[in-house]
Amino acid sequence: MNEIDGYLAALAAELRTKGAARRRILEECAGHLADAAVDDGAAAAVARFGPAEEVAAAFDAETATRRGLRATALSAAGVAATGLSTLVLIHAASPGATGPAAPAVVFFVCAQVAAVAGASAVVQALAHRHETLSPPSLALLARRNAVALVAAGATMLAAGAALPGHGSAPALLAGPVLLLGAFAAATRARRLARHLPGGRARIALSPLDDVLGDVLGDTGGFPVRWARATIDPVRHPMRACAVVAAIAAAGALWRDLGEGATLGGAAGVGLVELAAVVACFAALGPALGLRAGRER
Amino acid sequence: MANDLVRGHLDGLLLAVLAEAPGHGYELIQRLAARSGGELELPEGTVYPALHRLERAGLATSEWSAQDGRRRRVYRLSPTGRRAAEGARREWRLFADAVDRVLGAPA
Repeated sequence: MNEIDGYLAALAAELRTKGAARRRILEECAGHLADAAVDDGAAAAVARFGPAEEVAAAFDAETATRRGLRATALSAAGVAATGLSTLVLIHAASPGATGPAAPAVVFFVCAQVAAVAGASAVVQALAHRHETLSPPSLALLARRNAVALVAAGATMLAAGAALPGHGSAPALLAGPVLLLGAFAAATRARRLARHLPGGRARIALSPLDDVLGDVLGDTGGFPVRWARATIDPVRHPMRACAVVAAIAAAGALWRDLGEGATLGGAAGVGLVELAAVVACFAALGPALGLRAGRER
Repeated sequence: MANDLVRGHLDGLLLAVLAEAPGHGYELIQRLAARSGGELELPEGTVYPALHRLERAGLATSEWSAQDGRRRRVYRLSPTGRRAAEGARREWRLFADAVDRVLGAPA
């Protein structure tokens, strides 16, 4: 085995990217080394190419970024399609039907978790789409996608449990099918990200920073700048949780009063909403990178 | 020159050499070395992930091409990449002027 073959074998052993992308990488590297060896000799060509583990890590990070961004697009589509299928399910329920309380609570909580996790993933992906994401950032993106997909699925299941009915099968199945495809893509992206150096580290990444810094640039204006300075979840987790919980509770109270509920009943729903937001922020905040968690 | 400095500007440098003409990776690295007088050095293998990144971002396209009996992946700038190359050039001039006013000024 000559020096170039030995180097390519070492690169192949380090590389975690599989499939067509792997074949392309190895063929490009082999071509480069062959050209360089003609000009300067095999030893110099290999030395200038860089350590195999460093080159493999750079390729893997780029592949993982491509997979992560693609999984985010699929997840956003899966969550949206599942939302539409859920609406079809609700409209197919018997008129005037009211469901048991527990699935209704699960429905509202999971729908909001899916929206927050999905929006955080989309904003992160848009803000960093031109970069190669770091392994912890890739792992966070994968977690946000996975949580959004699971929560969207749970939302639809809860709606089905609360309000059984008969709807169009294609419309009802379209969302879950897309959701499963997106989940497979997100899992694949997560698996590669976790194998990269640092891929198991947890980071907190403010969606407001992503929106202000990269998606909108300076056009975010005063409201975004104010939100970033005062209720950013990463910098001010308690304040952010309190403000969001209060807004959500007020929204639930207002909605129920609008639907003719008694003040006591609407206040009860508002309190449930408040407790749910606080509990979700406490339980899912670190996993979604919305606040720093305990060191593990 | 320090690897980190070169890495920080790698995308802009690759866009600039691609703006001259399409080329495969080895050719682009040689162009980069020639234009910089050999000052810009970094592990050549790390240039390829950067080229893949430009392609993913829609700034470059690539296709296999048979040359001298061997397949080579040839990269070319997309229209978006051409605009990005101009943007990178403008940004660099502003940055270099600003740094020069500070570092280049007599103490």
